[in-house]
Amino acid sequence: MTEAHRPGRRSLLAGAACLGASWLVSGCTGAASITALPAAAPKGAPDRGGTLRIARPPASDAETLDPAGPLSAYEYLGALYNRLVRVGTDGGLVPDLAEAWEADSKARTWTFRLRKGVTFHNGHTFTSADAAYTLRHILDKATASPQAGVLAPLIDPKTLRTPDAHTLVVPLKSPHAEFPSLLTHYNCYVIPDGSGRSIGRTGIGTGPFRLDSFAPAGPGSVTAYQDHWAGRPVLDAISFASVADMSARANALLAGQVDLLSQTNLDFATARVVEASDRATIARVKNSQWYVLPMLTTEKPFTDVRVRKAMKLAYDPEHVVKVALQGAGTAGWDNPVPPDDPLHIRSHPEHDPDRARHLLKKAGHEGLTVDLHTSSYDPLFTPMALAYQDSARRAGIRVRVKTAAADSYYTQIWMKKPLMATYWYTGRPIDQLFTQIFRSGSSYNETAWSDKDFDALLDRARAETDDKRRRELYGEGQTMVIERGGAITPMFADRLVGVSRKVRGYAEHGFEFDYLAIGLKGA
Amino acid sequence: MLSFIARRTISALGTLLLASVLVFLAVQALPGDVATKILGKDATPDAVAGLREQMGLDRPAWERYLDWVESALHGDFGTSLVSGKPVATEAAAHLGNSALIALVTVLFAVTGALVLGVLAGLYRDRWADHLISTVSLVGMSIPEFVVATVLVLCFSIALPWFPAVVLYGPDASVGQLLPAVWLPALALATVMAAYIVRMARTSVIDVMASEYVTTARLKGLSTWRVVTRHALPGALLPTLHVIALNVAWLVGGVAVVENVFNYPGIGKLLLTSVQNRDLPVIQAVALISAVVYVVCNLAADLGSMALNPKLRTRGRTR
Repeated sequence: MTEAHRPGRRSLLAGAACLGASWLVSGCTGAASITALPAAAPKGAPDRGGTLRIARPPASDAETLDPAGPLSAYEYLGALYNRLVRVGTDGGLVPDLAEAWEADSKARTWTFRLRKGVTFHNGHTFTSADAAYTLRHILDKATASPQAGVLAPLIDPKTLRTPDAHTLVVPLKSPHAEFPSLLTHYNCYVIPDGSGRSIGRTGIGTGPFRLDSFAPAGPGSVTAYQDHWAGRPVLDAISFASVADMSARANALLAGQVDLLSQTNLDFATARVVEASDRATIARVKNSQWYVLPMLTTEKPFTDVRVRKAMKLAYDPEHVVKVALQGAGTAGWDNPVPPDDPLHIRSHPEHDPDRARHLLKKAGHEGLTVDLHTSSYDPLFTPMALAYQDSARRAGIRVRVKTAAADSYYTQIWMKKPLMATYWYTGRPIDQLFTQIFRSGSSYNETAWSDKDFDALLDRARAETDDKRRRELYGEGQTMVIERGGAITPMFADRLVGVSRKVRGYAEHGFEFDYLAIGLKGA
Repeated sequence: MLSFIARRTISALGTLLLASVLVFLAVQALPGDVATKILGKDATPDAVAGLREQMGLDRPAWERYLDWVESALHGDFGTSLVSGKPVATEAAAHLGNSALIALVTVLFAVTGALVLGVLAGLYRDRWADHLISTVSLVGMSIPEFVVATVLVLCFSIALPWFPAVVLYGPDASVGQLLPAVWLPALALATVMAAYIVRMARTSVIDVMASEYVTTARLKGLSTWRVVTRHALPGALLPTLHVIALNVAWLVGGVAVVENVFNYPGIGKLLLTSVQNRDLPVIQAVALISAVVYVVCNLAADLGSMALNPKLRTRGRTR
């Protein structure tokens, strides 16, 4: 559950009881006109020092600081640890603890040159042994790492080599030209050699902050690590508070008790209250949420590719963005690769209700009626479902929107009902995305789509060492997902993040959060 | 009198037993089983089967019920399926925090409501009575989470006097929680006080119209003395029952209000455990609530018996 819902478990009661600020606002403003929300957080340089207070939804009462585990306390990871490579602002890979990496001519063996002069918070020097151990820890069955499903088919932990203290050699079971991109995942933060049993409590990493205190689903704090290899962070400390209820988090921000709400996509009503307040405002993380209506390709009528195609041609994504997102996002055109990904292809079939009608007729499903399940788990599910319903009507498709209970939504509806509404964080490099969510047999393949051609194409793309050719192959992969797959992607939404007006240098994209530069002004 | 106490106690125990069965059955009927919930998106059929066996979910329900009741009687509610900590200590920490809110709430509600109720009763049909009655009716009609939200808006966002949410976990000290107690307590007290105000008002009106009050007045006693010495004790009796019932209601009321304030009490524990399908915790919290409810009712019955000579002596005449 953690994997998909990195955005965290939104308050389940909020929908039922309409608590907190959002209730008041929707009650007060009602049909008020849509005011524009700011596009970015306040600009300018922060003052040095200060303590940033972050409110976060706890992953679970059993959450830990083990980055590889399934129940990691996400916000702490980027502050405490580093990865070998991370994703830059342009979507490409940039060095973190690895300064350079290269593959052999067949992309079967990858060599990482590691940064020198890096120390862990306990004073130990970072070496290739730590990097190798981190991979072994992820692959260890006892860790139950969500990323093991992606890495285990590629790496045999016994073959990892460390020829010297600053070189890590990773031989792969099959060629993979995009292998380093898989190490940008938030499960891949580097931990000290042999620390697997204790890392969940100690949080010893090489990151810009070191751990002061941590309680699962409780409060915690980190302080600046003076000897961080990239220089000390702007802030002196960060304190984290666990607040499960979304409205309570918003209230804490409005009352000036916290400075930033992490993993919280504020609904439009609350966002407007936050924006109007003296203490807080809204920052946007562009296209950061991928909204999807997965059709189970193993369930009728979606077993028929013509029906799947018709379901996609039938509706207008621009309409969904306008209605459900009030324009705060980008039309998806059924391509799960986000528009700002460097490998994203722009071409897509045009909205064509007549062709959809024709396809349905050919498939013997004229005047198709389908149930679309949604819940209050996320505030955009139901608006998206209703906008789809409205738009698809033109193709003669009757969509019945059914609301399910939020607290059992991901156990009773997701991957069980033939059509439902869900979302993921964007920020997965394309190979991670395809392997995890679209390849046959992956446990996160929510459309149960199994297409041998697609799997073979993915293998070919991975083995292709020519960058241009590989780019084309991943492009073909996107076309195949659009034309044959089960995922209807109406939109990518901007995340509306509540921040204090004192926060400066807030930068987040995908699973990357800039803990070094963020700071406060006049705190 | 003894037989009355015995009968009430036995029926209380019977209620508790019935409650325990209902709690157990209700938890079994929850949609979504805990094994799939814990494993989430990693729930392969094998993993689910393994976890179910490990948690004993494959055994018959009645067997698990008897086990549960037996260990619960020894104060052992098992271990949380999510955090792996003993449920008893976890529930005790949360219960303590909620008791703090409950205490403040009861103090607010009872003193405030009695004063207002008596005033309304004494100034019957005058503007003070109309004002108090209207306000208490409004308070009665608005759900507690709305009151809580309005209070947050006024006293932590517009006027930053109190914290809007608690940023501490269940291990927070009383000192850490104290600033955050007032708003939730006020929200609960508002709803709770409304009932008591109405009840106290009616009692005072009845008592003030009674013959012994008239006699007291004829003796030349001051109004203040008539009220405090004669009217109030008589008016308290029926109110006591309402207060006890309200304390029992508190157990449910805190669930919603604590969530608004992120207050680490028993209500929030219940909510998280329901969301996590953490069966041992749900069962323990539900049972604790039932105990509080039954004990409050029992106390109300026995209390009113102790104060009411008619009830006290009825047993003897039979």
